[in-house]
Amino acid sequence: MPDTHFYRYDGYDRTLVSERVDQFRDQVRRRLAGELTEEQFKPLRLHNGLYLQLHAYMLRIAIPYGTLSSRQLRKLADISRKYDRGYGHFTTRQNLQLNWIKLEDAPDALAALAEVDMHAMQTSGNCIRNVTADHYAGAAIDEIEDPRIWAEIVRQWSTLHPEFTFLPRKFKIAITGSPNDRVAVRVHDIGLRLWRNGQGEVGFEVIVGGGLGRTPMIGKTLREFLPKDELLAYLEATLRVYNRYGRRDNLYKARIKILVHEVGVEKMREEVEAEYAATRDGALKLPAATIEAIARQFAPPVLSPRPAVSGRVVAQRLDDPDFALWLKSNVAPHRVPGYAIVTASLKPAGAPPGDASAAQMDGVADIAEAYSQAELRVSHEQNLIFPHVAVEDLPQVYRSLAALGFAEANVGKITDIIACPGLDYCALANARSIPVAQRISNHFASIARQHDIGDLKIKISGCINACGHHHVGHIGILGVDKNGVELYQISLGGDVDFGRTAIGSILGPAVTADKVVEAVDAIVTTYLDARRDGERFVDTYRRIGAQPFKERVYAAV
Amino acid sequence: MAKNLSGDLQVASANRLVDGMVVWLDEAGQWTDRLEHAAVARDKRGAEFLLERARVEAFSVVDPFLVAVAEDEDGTIEPLSLREKIRASGLTFDAIAADAVRYA
Ligand code: HEM
Ligand code: SF4
Repeated sequence: MPDTHFYRYDGYDRTLVSERVDQFRDQVRRRLAGELTEEQFKPLRLHNGLYLQLHAYMLRIAIPYGTLSSRQLRKLADISRKYDRGYGHFTTRQNLQLNWIKLEDAPDALAALAEVDMHAMQTSGNCIRNVTADHYAGAAIDEIEDPRIWAEIVRQWSTLHPEFTFLPRKFKIAITGSPNDRVAVRVHDIGLRLWRNGQGEVGFEVIVGGGLGRTPMIGKTLREFLPKDELLAYLEATLRVYNRYGRRDNLYKARIKILVHEVGVEKMREEVEAEYAATRDGALKLPAATIEAIARQFAPPVLSPRPAVSGRVVAQRLDDPDFALWLKSNVAPHRVPGYAIVTASLKPAGAPPGDASAAQMDGVADIAEAYSQAELRVSHEQNLIFPHVAVEDLPQVYRSLAALGFAEANVGKITDIIACPGLDYCALANARSIPVAQRISNHFASIARQHDIGDLKIKISGCINACGHHHVGHIGILGVDKNGVELYQISLGGDVDFGRTAIGSILGPAVTADKVVEAVDAIVTTYLDARRDGERFVDTYRRIGAQPFKERVYAAV
Repeated sequence: MAKNLSGDLQVASANRLVDGMVVWLDEAGQWTDRLEHAAVARDKRGAEFLLERARVEAFSVVDPFLVAVAEDEDGTIEPLSLREKIRASGLTFDAIAADAVRYA
């Protein structure tokens, strides 16, 4: 089996993880023996990714940079079979959640994870959290550099940096190595977008102060173009300014999005540039050798030349309309001619979005080994990606995925719904998310109709924490609780596409659970009636405004 | 018909420490995974007493709390809130089975 082409644990990481498992095993033993109270134990289990939800413990497993080997996926399947109920849930944060882990089994599950260099440790507290990266990393045709290299560089730098382990609040960074943003850079504390300027130089656009949750904000551009080798020094200056305001005045003891909002991006820029000018030479630098070693860890696989056009693909496209639609929505161009990026849809009609059974995980691992260099990616849209598939293998990959139920040709379409766990699992929820997603998915199940409707993203959260990213859904749905009744607030016009990032606007009064499908249907019909050639749903919405949608929806519900 | 919608009737619930499963306190002071065996407090004092007792018996569970329930004519109890209904009867959709390969 080919080895994986991404960051491998070194001896230091491995020792750390295995020590943590042993420590946790002892802590669990003491808790079960009554030597630790829940108050003492809770932070310990949370540090190890073990949450207590409505009806069981949940283990949240980190998938750094969304990159997974087939071997790791098999292990996840194995763990879910042995210690859970045989399925897992891929989340919008590039995590896998197991929903039914027993406390007494959790140390064994963590030990099994460590065997494949994985863990569930939450980099908890107000530090720089896991850096997220493009799920097409290492394969995208528009990629300038693999963003995972920079994500790992930032991780190592921030871990080494004592000054940034006590920030005013937690801090999330997303990096895309392509000018086309696929990581939602404008809704992170810091978003970094690599691009090439007119002189052919490569650098980052630095975006600051975005976020979702209770106070959604679109990040602002702090620096249009930052030469890439200045990244760490500039981040350091930015964080120092944030830290300083955060400490000086209680008002700013909050997320950086609040700071940027309060002082304005111009003032923020002034402060950061002044700090940068004064400190750039003394900034902590990772040695060039370290950076090179990191880059080597992410070296692309050697892809043998394959024909860019395949007779088999062309023939099947002509006589199998489902395959033709699948090519359109689930297959993206690769930077190496003769290869493609394939998305396995974890959103078959009527299924809980993002769930996969152990058998399906094994099946996906089989496909990755046969056709994609044993590599996989997890997207924040809760799908799985085969980054390196030869074009001529597409028919076989399609057939294998269809056998797993993962060949739904709906990527980016109305049934490719993002939904948080909601009230069926989550202790913080106001309302259910998954059953709402299922009803919408069943209603719009026809693939031909979905392709006619075109790109339309529905995102559903069960409470204001916004784990389902409802603020940036073309159609956003937020569950609220009114005197014990689940109601759903609908917003339109959210977007995370680059250059168009927007927070959706609330359409009107919340609707009851049994009216959500009718409301969505009325919204779609309004769009289909009004759209002009080539106009996406959000474009039509921007052009005609909320009123026509509002009239139709509130006449229908 | 539910007799009591105001929430005077209460049971004590918690999650079992060892596996997180939902449990209720029964008349004998044991934690049970069957709601129908739960001890029902019928007034404010009874509820205080029940919660006190649940806390005393809490070594095998996590964070006991009171749940408002309704009781129908044949004595069947049901939580009032949707959250507690879901805790009592589980997911409101079919979770995927371990060996499921959808459609296959
Ligand atoms: C079911 C257990 C979960 C619990 C208890 C939980 C809890 C929370 C809480 C309390 C916050 C707000 C944190 C803060 O701003 O300080 C939050 C934020 C968030 N959660 Fe979850 N969450 C859960 C599941 C998930 C899942 C499954 C996903 C992904 C599908 C997710 C994605 C997110 C994201 C992206 C945010 C950040 C929103 C932002 O930008 O501010 N969470 N979560
Ligand atoms: S948005 Fe709310 S309900 Fe949904 S998972 Fe997050 S905390 Fe739970």
